[in-house]
Amino acid sequence: MSVLEQVRTAASDILQIAPEKITEASTPEQIESWDSVQHLNLILALETQFGVEFEPEEIEQMKSIGKIATVVEAKIG
Amino acid sequence: MIAIRPFTEEWTGAVRDFNWRIASNGFLFPGQAAANHFIAVDGDAVRGGYILRHQQFWFRGEPRDVAHYRLPLSEGIVDKAYVSLGMQLLRHALKQQPMLYGLGMGGVDKALPRMLKAMGWGLWEVPFLFKVNRAAAFLRNIQPLRKTALRRVAMDLAAYSGLGWAGLRALQRPLHGVSAGGVVNSFDGWADEVWRSSSPAYGAVAERDAETLNAFYGEQNAIRLKVGSAGWAIVLDTQMHGDKYFGDMRVGSVADCLAAPPDAPQVIGAAVRFLEQRGVDLIVSNQLHAAWVAALRGSGFRVGPSNFVFAASKKLLELIPEAAEVHMNRGDGDGPIHL
Repeated sequence: MSVLEQVRTAASDILQIAPEKITEASTPEQIESWDSVQHLNLILALETQFGVEFEPEEIEQMKSIGKIATVVEAKIG
Repeated sequence: MIAIRPFTEEWTGAVRDFNWRIASNGFLFPGQAAANHFIAVDGDAVRGGYILRHQQFWFRGEPRDVAHYRLPLSEGIVDKAYVSLGMQLLRHALKQQPMLYGLGMGGVDKALPRMLKAMGWGLWEVPFLFKVNRAAAFLRNIQPLRKTALRRVAMDLAAYSGLGWAGLRALQRPLHGVSAGGVVNSFDGWADEVWRSSSPAYGAVAERDAETLNAFYGEQNAIRLKVGSAGWAIVLDTQMHGDKYFGDMRVGSVADCLAAPPDAPQVIGAAVRFLEQRGVDLIVSNQLHAAWVAALRGSGFRVGPSNFVFAASKKLLELIPEAAEVHMNRGDGDGPIHL
């Protein structure tokens, strides 16, 4: 499973939204349940899943599902 | 690109603009620049901020530097483009001082405590205890009990008929043989002695020597009670006006206190007698340590719902064996506000 797919799956679990409704372009502005607390839960879940810890500058870049996947890919090399 | 940096003078206008944008949320970031105030800067705009209040805590007599994580605010509360900022602020604060605590926060269900819990912080509700001194005023005013029209009518009837007083007296034990404490204008050598002798008995306690107490309570409208050589209490006597919890009651509070744990009943007894004699309608206190909770209960207090939360970061958590051994009350954090 690609990193993007793993991010979509994690977001689906945490935001309680069907996976098919979450795309690479999805942003917090488009998904009502994606608030600051759920954003944090998503990032913490990805940190656990990929065994990394994101820096504040990396967290700031995570403004869409696609951008989150890009940051994760860069982090895990 | 957001950068988190100390709040310096040139950002005063941008902080004011930030406050305008988030004003509907009910919180405002302090408008004066300070080295321990951090702001999240995005180009020319400020998008959030937080305050670190550095303190010394003592853990069974061992001092360590700790900081209070105060007033974290993010534009994410009004603009979802900034939903990540809360986590950025928190991670930045933890880099400044890994031993952080939060206090108050409005209840465990609020956004900040939920974020802290998700990040592995320990969270505890600091018990809220109350004792009714004037039942009629209490029954007419207490807001959480008056949620329905039927309850409001029943409580008004009870208040006027005296039935409420009989019921409340049955639930509260009166105080016997307790002498009132003496009011003092400042803390002095005696307070240092109380601090020196009592602080090693606590699993964790913020520094409360005379110098710290005089600096913290110097400009506050607080009454300082010295209770023999055993300890002291900070009490407040406040006439409320349309308060969302207390209506128009005159509320007494035991905001802060210190003594060796076995002497807690003596200090609480003196503080309660003092407030009762002043004629307050209700006496309230938030206390985390088991000895102070027991002392309040022993003086006839009952436990009510608490929205006052103590949160400890992972690093701080390592030094806290049991929450019931932590001396934490309304004198900690921001001090006795809203009382």
